[in-house]
Amino acid sequence: MRLLALALHRLAWFVPTLLGLLLVTFVISRVIPADPVALVAGETATPAQVEALRRQLGFDRPLPVQFADYVARLARGDMGTSIFTRRPIAEDLAHRLPATIELTLAAMVVSVLVGIPLGVLSALWRNSLLDHALRVATVSGLAIASFWLGIMLQLLFAMRLGWTPLNGRLQGFPPRSITGFYLLDAVLTGDWPTFGGALLHLALPAATLAFPALATLVRFTRAGVLDVMQSNFVLYERAMGLPRFVIVWKYILRSALTSTVTQVGLLFGILLAGAVVTEAVFDWPGIGTYAVNSILRSDYNAVMGFTVWAGAIFIVVNLLVDVTHTLVDPRERVS
Amino acid sequence: MSSSKGASTAVWFVLRRLTRDRSALLGFALIVALLLAALLAPVLSTHPDDVFELHPSERLRAPSRAHWLGTDRMGADVYSRLLFGARITILIGVIAVGASLIVGVPVGLVAGYYHGWVSDLLMRVSDVFLAVPQVVLAIAIAQTLGPSLPNVILALSATYWPWFARVAYAETRSIQKEVFVESTAALGASPWRLTALHVLPNIASPIIVRASIGMGFTILTAAALGFLGLGPPPPTPEWGRTIAESREFLPDAWWYATAPGLAIFLTVMGFNLLGDGLRDVLDPRLRRTHTARDE
Amino acid sequence: MTHGRSSLVLAIVIGMLAAVSSAPVLAQTRFVFANESPYDTMDPHAAFDVGRVAVRLNLYDGLYRWLDNPPKLEPWLAESHTVSADGLTYTFKLRRGAKFHDGAEVTAEDVRYSADRILAVKKGAAALLSTMIASGTTKALDRYTVQFALTKPAAIFLAVVPEVHVVNAALLKKHEKDGDWGEAWLTSNEAGSGSYALTRYDPAVGFIARRFPGHFMPWGAKYIEEIEFRTVKEDNTRVLGMIKGDYQGTGGYLPNDQVKRLREAPNVKIIEQESMRIKIFQINNQRPPLNDVHVRRAISYAFDYDGFNKDILGGSVERNPVPIPNNMWGVPRDVKGYTYDIDKAKAELALAKAKVDRPLTIGYLQGFSQTEQAATVMANGLRKAGIDTKLTSEVWPTMVERMKKPETSPDLVVYWISTYYADPNNWIGEMFHSGQWGTFKASSFYKNPKVDDLLDTALKSTDRKVREKAYQDAARIVVDEAAGVWVYNTKYFGPWAKSLEGIRFSPIGNGQEVRWVYYSK
Repeated sequence: MRLLALALHRLAWFVPTLLGLLLVTFVISRVIPADPVALVAGETATPAQVEALRRQLGFDRPLPVQFADYVARLARGDMGTSIFTRRPIAEDLAHRLPATIELTLAAMVVSVLVGIPLGVLSALWRNSLLDHALRVATVSGLAIASFWLGIMLQLLFAMRLGWTPLNGRLQGFPPRSITGFYLLDAVLTGDWPTFGGALLHLALPAATLAFPALATLVRFTRAGVLDVMQSNFVLYERAMGLPRFVIVWKYILRSALTSTVTQVGLLFGILLAGAVVTEAVFDWPGIGTYAVNSILRSDYNAVMGFTVWAGAIFIVVNLLVDVTHTLVDPRERVS
Repeated sequence: MSSSKGASTAVWFVLRRLTRDRSALLGFALIVALLLAALLAPVLSTHPDDVFELHPSERLRAPSRAHWLGTDRMGADVYSRLLFGARITILIGVIAVGASLIVGVPVGLVAGYYHGWVSDLLMRVSDVFLAVPQVVLAIAIAQTLGPSLPNVILALSATYWPWFARVAYAETRSIQKEVFVESTAALGASPWRLTALHVLPNIASPIIVRASIGMGFTILTAAALGFLGLGPPPPTPEWGRTIAESREFLPDAWWYATAPGLAIFLTVMGFNLLGDGLRDVLDPRLRRTHTARDE
Repeated sequence: MTHGRSSLVLAIVIGMLAAVSSAPVLAQTRFVFANESPYDTMDPHAAFDVGRVAVRLNLYDGLYRWLDNPPKLEPWLAESHTVSADGLTYTFKLRRGAKFHDGAEVTAEDVRYSADRILAVKKGAAALLSTMIASGTTKALDRYTVQFALTKPAAIFLAVVPEVHVVNAALLKKHEKDGDWGEAWLTSNEAGSGSYALTRYDPAVGFIARRFPGHFMPWGAKYIEEIEFRTVKEDNTRVLGMIKGDYQGTGGYLPNDQVKRLREAPNVKIIEQESMRIKIFQINNQRPPLNDVHVRRAISYAFDYDGFNKDILGGSVERNPVPIPNNMWGVPRDVKGYTYDIDKAKAELALAKAKVDRPLTIGYLQGFSQTEQAATVMANGLRKAGIDTKLTSEVWPTMVERMKKPETSPDLVVYWISTYYADPNNWIGEMFHSGQWGTFKASSFYKNPKVDDLLDTALKSTDRKVREKAYQDAARIVVDEAAGVWVYNTKYFGPWAKSLEGIRFSPIGNGQEVRWVYYSK
């Protein structure tokens, strides 16, 4: 079957792609002209001094040896230890992953619950005031710098109105950790004040993260619904005199939703990427800030670890998306 | 479609259709405004020296007749620094997208034209670059090389070229299946001839659309890098860095954070609107099947 | 809406209300402090900085303790001490009945173990202590008498002794692994005798501690039952939190704009105290062209001191022209220091043999925007004098790494030097003695045998007059040689909840010792 061939074909490339990713990250951190050893050694260091430093850091071994060493350890599940937190990187990532996932899920929920209905309405009431307003809003949504949006939301809701906290995931100590998701853990332990606090803390970052995804979802849902509305079988139903809302519910919504579902999976990938900047603005203790802080602190082991993890996820997501695309739209030419 | 006369008629046709699209016109106007602001910054600004000059005793003043958008933490005029920041924005956008195009399109063409392991390899390489969130890869590159203008451009180019490669690849593949291409190839035309005369003109539209949307996206990422402190160092009036600087003075000095953010918004909106308009005109087929993946 | 859904909504609303209202109910017995830096370790021997001082002050005790302002050394775990005539032997008599949190009595053996442990762990105050005592030379003469043998007479030993925090030797020996002196365990636990005992710790959040009623220092009629020290990185969040009442205390070195906001808040009071914390630009004296005194003087004339201190910092700091805080003894009162004068800067450059033909790098600290602003002001002045600059930023640990060697340290670095112990050596001694190269205070990489002599004399002698003169002479030379740029001395503007009393500020503890504090109503 064509689909199976595609899936197998891409899976075969999974490991080489991942290795390629590692190689790129490795190369960036070890080879490019402004070599970190030289950076640490400073612009006016003599070559002898740089070499001494290189030996000290173990970077004097041949690059393929260093790389092979890293990959070998990785295969054993050892991502190395973070220079800064002094803990195994796998542990650090696991510790911080729930925060990012909770934020991303919240944003996804918001964008789906708000975006799809708005998209449908916008299509049904085409060229109405609502439609025009939404079209302007969605174009804007993709033009706003998300870090700026976050800051503006903070300015209004946290500073001026005082309705939400300014940043962070929670005030003080988190609830007893069962899943690592504060909302869930608070519910499971019956800790309602913490639940409320966590929800308030989640409000602004989730809204910021959801905004571009929401805009995309509205646009796409609108286009999808319009497509279906103009299709032949719908026209036939209307000609037959079926009431509008029946048509909407039975045919349009279902068709539009099916294609939207494939988009939602993709949305997750976009949101995860957007989380990096949003986490920076709201000081959210997730994977995004971990990656950025590791980079800023030249904690290269941590950077590589993050890259492996993120890379694996994205490659899998890309594969799933390509597969579902072929499933959904045989017209699409995917290799 | 392959004669030069046909090409110029097509361009004229496109322009005519475009002028009828109000939002595309708005986008175009915004872009022109940005270009003017950048080009004429020394003339249009009220305090051109404030790009590097400090007036500590005038810091954090609200917008007034003297300072149209107020002053920043060093007493420099926000409006003037905004205009000079436009130069940096354009520079980064044009060079980064240009470089991505120059690298990405040929890669996509080759991958699309040939079949077999070469093609696979090239597309998997581009997958590698797409595998990590673009922002993170750009951050890593910028941090490694050191925060500066050229390094930001390099980082952005290195992370955006795969999008051009993908477009070029997909379009090349779909055109290959067109009968006229197959027959021309059967007649013995060389790959170069085929590419230059038949493939390139047909992929031009999606590439142009991608470039316009890419400008907006690149500018946003550049601003994010500046915000995180990885862009050109102080006292460069880069918009993202200015927003980062302003944070500690909120909520009182609201103009300090609002102005550069609005500048970014209007700029990116301009490119997005124009890109959308171009897409509607050049390739209506794309409009409907446009997916979130293209962003 | 179904029944289930409406009760969920109700629960959420109640949750939010509870979250908002829970703070004042606990206020009378709880104190929450918002700290700028993370508490990445609970080990009192692994840190020496102000950022993590709350751990050492509240969970642990030393032989003596610095209290109040001007700082005075008070007996703490030790009641008294004697010094031998040659200044090489210090004998401390411990008080009886002081207990660790697990009930064991604090004995001289614990002190001996602690002194050796600090030296072995090689972090925190070890660098300073290792210049004065050697491992294995501290002796427990009997259960309550401990003796230190100095390698050479050191006038500052007594000033530094409070940093030997006494840890529970028996407890640590139980958790020792591979001869690590219990370091891995103590990172997340405690073995102290201090006024508060650790109950909860998370390196990403902070720590909570409960009052230790059995502490040897008597408790007043009123006290704080539970303390929480939380990491809150953003200035704005700390300020908002103080205003909202989420926190009852936070660090007193906020930017002036933020202090103004806090003054206007109805439930916050600002305690203003003269502190000892100087802001400086270190100049890399070893790297050409900065090894030319005229270039360094030019740099000293290029900084807009008044613009920075008066305008940008709103006059909340005092110009401090000498590398010793104004309010410390040892300052030569006749030295006025450098002023902002571009013409003089250019004149000095003209005299210089070395030409400045490359941009000078100015390093500032990521996350400390005041250093970024100072660097910008310096860059602007240098530009006016005809010198190009390149600004570069690092996080503090990376900057400390870079400042260890003259080859890797930037041309100029701007940061603060706080009070680790109240003695001029804390500043000028550690900054300009050539033996100190490699420590973060000595990134001036200055080498002058005459200054070395003066500083050594000051360290050896115990005669205050001799020491004072030595420091004054050394300061005069260093200023004349423009070995660095010294900008201001900080004032402490401590934000505290209005209902709190009993706050005792000292430049070393920065008011973070909670055992004296209580709510007035």
